[in-house]
Order: sequence, then structure tokens, then C-alpha cells
Amino acid sequence: MKYIIMLAAMLLIVMSSNNVQAQNNEKDNFLVQVDGLGCPFCAYGLEKKFKEWKGLKNPKIDMETGNFTFTYPAAEKLTIAAVEKQVEAAGYTPVSVVINRSDGSIETTKKEVVTTKKAVQANQKSTVTVAGNCDMCKARIEKAANSVTGVQGATWDKNTQELTLLLSNSTTVQQVEQAIAKAGHDTPDVKASNKTYNNLHGCCQYPRLK
Amino acid sequence: MNVYHNTLLVAVLLIMIGCDSPKGTEKIAVETPSIAAQWQEVERIDLDTIAPIGLTYFKENLWIADGDNNQLVKLTKAGTIEVVLQDLERPMHLDSDADYIYIPEYGKDVISRFDGNQKTEESMEQLDAPASISVQGTTRAVADFYHHQIWYNEGENWVAFGEKGKENGQFHYPTDVQLMGDKIYVADAYNHRVQVLDKQGKWLQTIGEAEKMNATTGIYVNEKELFATDFENNRVLVYDLEGNLQQTITEQLEKPTDVLQVDQRIYVINYGSKELVIYEYQ
Repeated sequence: MKYIIMLAAMLLIVMSSNNVQAQNNEKDNFLVQVDGLGCPFCAYGLEKKFKEWKGLKNPKIDMETGNFTFTYPAAEKLTIAAVEKQVEAAGYTPVSVVINRSDGSIETTKKEVVTTKKAVQANQKSTVTVAGNCDMCKARIEKAANSVTGVQGATWDKNTQELTLLLSNSTTVQQVEQAIAKAGHDTPDVKASNKTYNNLHGCCQYPRLK
Repeated sequence: MNVYHNTLLVAVLLIMIGCDSPKGTEKIAVETPSIAAQWQEVERIDLDTIAPIGLTYFKENLWIADGDNNQLVKLTKAGTIEVVLQDLERPMHLDSDADYIYIPEYGKDVISRFDGNQKTEESMEQLDAPASISVQGTTRAVADFYHHQIWYNEGENWVAFGEKGKENGQFHYPTDVQLMGDKIYVADAYNHRVQVLDKQGKWLQTIGEAEKMNATTGIYVNEKELFATDFENNRVLVYDLEGNLQQTITEQLEKPTDVLQVDQRIYVINYGSKELVIYEYQ
């Protein structure tokens, strides 16, 4: 009987130890979309800042899409807020974060897009000059423009500095300019605040419009 | 007879004067056209999967820092690519002397030396992302990307020049540095210019502001010219050392990251198209 109890106790210890081991080996998968990554210096810089986190593995950055993926020990329960904060500390803007937890659950900042835009008739095509430098600027400008209700399309050309807009009748170019200025980019009529401009990544600090 | 001759002479002179300057036209001097020599593309080499960031010439071969794949590769004289050193952490703009290739490892704040066989590391904890090194005898300079500074060492102690900003002598993400004579040339990437300092860190000159570069990723300086790669605008700008633009090279360039002159050729690496492009002065 004494031996049976000892054997059972040992078995429990081994099982418990295996459980801890398994938990330690489990990884959460992260997909972070960063607001454009124009050059390798920027991409490597983002990676470097995340590598300060011990335990982060398999970092991969796709500069074209701005997608940054990595794994992190599940036991650490790394949060979306912490990831966003680290992206900002590296000098970038997080667009979205998706975490595939090792237990199969998914956490995301992505919101379901309710597409009401098609219901609105796009009646005006307009262009406006927007100051910017790079692909990161392009992503930010177009995102800001598209956030305005009634904007059916927004395409910014880095070379001409022109933003082409498709707008509903009820939407004005000035509304779009204001949204873009809030994101940090000058237009001839609406300027970004110095604070917002200074928070832009180095790639994006374009010559200010007068 | 004399009267006849004189009248004829006057008539000929009048005709000549009349023909010389017809109203409304200017006599156009026709000269032999002089075509100024320029850098022209002569060859392109496909680098396959290599994502080139930095370039140097060591022991009669070109060497390339492959940033995405964390390795150092050699371009042999036969034009083949040989991976020589792996497991680097984001190798950037290289330099070399007779004995070593110097490799700034951006991802882990070290400067490595490689003699062709063995690598040794010098940890520099004061750095945050070294983007470039330049070596001139026992003198070294390092571009410190995230601290917006240039570190300088004449053989013993490191001193830092500059800080984040847009004024003369300040930097905004410096990505390349070169020691040349008694000057330090800096690719001041996101201030979109090249700055020239003396070896005490005093600002001397700014080059390239009018060209609105974005971003100034790599530079090379010789006794007469300065070359700067303009990443987003897909070009290499060539200046004299007074800062006057001499040529804008755009042929076959796609997101260039570094430029190097060896003998009568310049070599430019394209991060975008993963190519090495060679130009000659013709």
C-alpha cells in the first residue's frame, strides 16, 4: 500500500511537471498591422524594439503590407494594449492587432466594417494637395480620408502630392482636410498641429506647407 | 579704269554688308557640340534573394550586407554570389581596410570585424541601432540611428556629435557616415540632406537640401565628388564638394541604399529590385 501511494504521488508530480512544461512551450501568435513601413531602416527598427521583449520569436515584417508577425510565450498573456504601446514607442502607429491565443481563442482590435458606403451615391470627384513623403504617409492620409462619412474613395499620389477623392454630395473637401490634418498632414487650407506633426515617424516628417 | 574698279569695289562691299546682317535674324555660330561626360549605366547584376543595404570592397571583391537575411555575401569576380557570414543581426552600411570588413549590426548594437574567416564583435552599449561605420586608419565614426548622433573615435575614447533636430549639426535618423580627409560626411536621412562636419563635430556645410531627397540612405565621397542615394525617389545625386549638383542618375534605380566607387566605376545597390547596378563615366 505504501508503495502504491508513493507511485501515485510520483505520477502526479510528473504529470503536473509536464503540464507546466507544455504551458511554457505554448505560444500565442501575433499579427500587427503597422501604419506602412517605407524603408528597411524603419522595419528593422520596429523589429529591434520588439526584440527587447525576451521570449519574442520568429519576427517577420512585410514592408509592402505593413504586417508584422511574431510569437510570444502564452504564459506571459501579452495584451493588445501592450503591443500597441510598443509599436508607438518604436515611432509608428498601430493599425490593428490580432492575437491567436494558444487555447484557440482570438482577440482583435479589428472592427467589423459595416459597409454603408455603397448606399451613398458618390457624386463629386475632387482633388486636394496633401503634404507627405512616403508610403507610410500614403497609408495614413488615405485612412484618414476614408474615415470621413461620405468618402467613397481616396487615393494619394506621392509624386504629385495630390489626393483624389470621390465624395457624396453631403461631404465637403474641408471635412476631409480636417481629418487629414488631425492625422498629421498639411493641406493648403488646414494645417496639422505641431504636436501631431512632431509625433510622425522620421520618414514622414515632410516639409511643412506655408 | 580706276573709277570702274572703285565702283565695283563699293558695290561688292555694299552687297556683303547687306548679306551679313539681314533684319530679324542673328548669325548663329555653329560649334562642335561638346557632350559632357556623365555616369552611365553599363551593367546590372541580379542579386537573387539578397536584400542589399551596404557595400564595400575588400580583398579585390565586392561585399554586400544582406539586411533581410542577416548575412554578408561576396560577389566573386565571376559574378557569382557567395554567402560567407551568417547569423548577423541586420548588417548595415559596411566599411573595410586592408585587414577587416567592419559590420555595424543594427539589431544588437555591436560593431563586428571580419577578416574573411573569423568574426569578432565589439559591443557598443551606447548605441541604439548602428546604421553605418567608416574607418580611416585608427579613426572610426559610427552613425547611431535612434540616438540621432555620430560617434567618433581617434583611437581611444568615443565621443558623440549632434542630437535630434533640424538645425545645422543636428540629425534626424543618420543612416550613413564617411570619413574623408579632415571631414566627416553624414547622410542625414530624414532631414533629407548630407551634412559635413569637421573632426571636432563642428558643422561646416549642408549639401542637397534643394533636391528634396527622401530619404538620404547612403553616401560615398571621393576627392572631387559626393554621391548620395535617394531611396524613395529612386535616384543617385552627384555633387561636387562645394555642393553643386552635377548629375542626377535615375537609370535602373529602385530604392537604392548604398553607393561605392572602385577605380573608374560606381556601384549602386537597389533594395527594391535586388540588383547591383554599375555605372562608368562616359
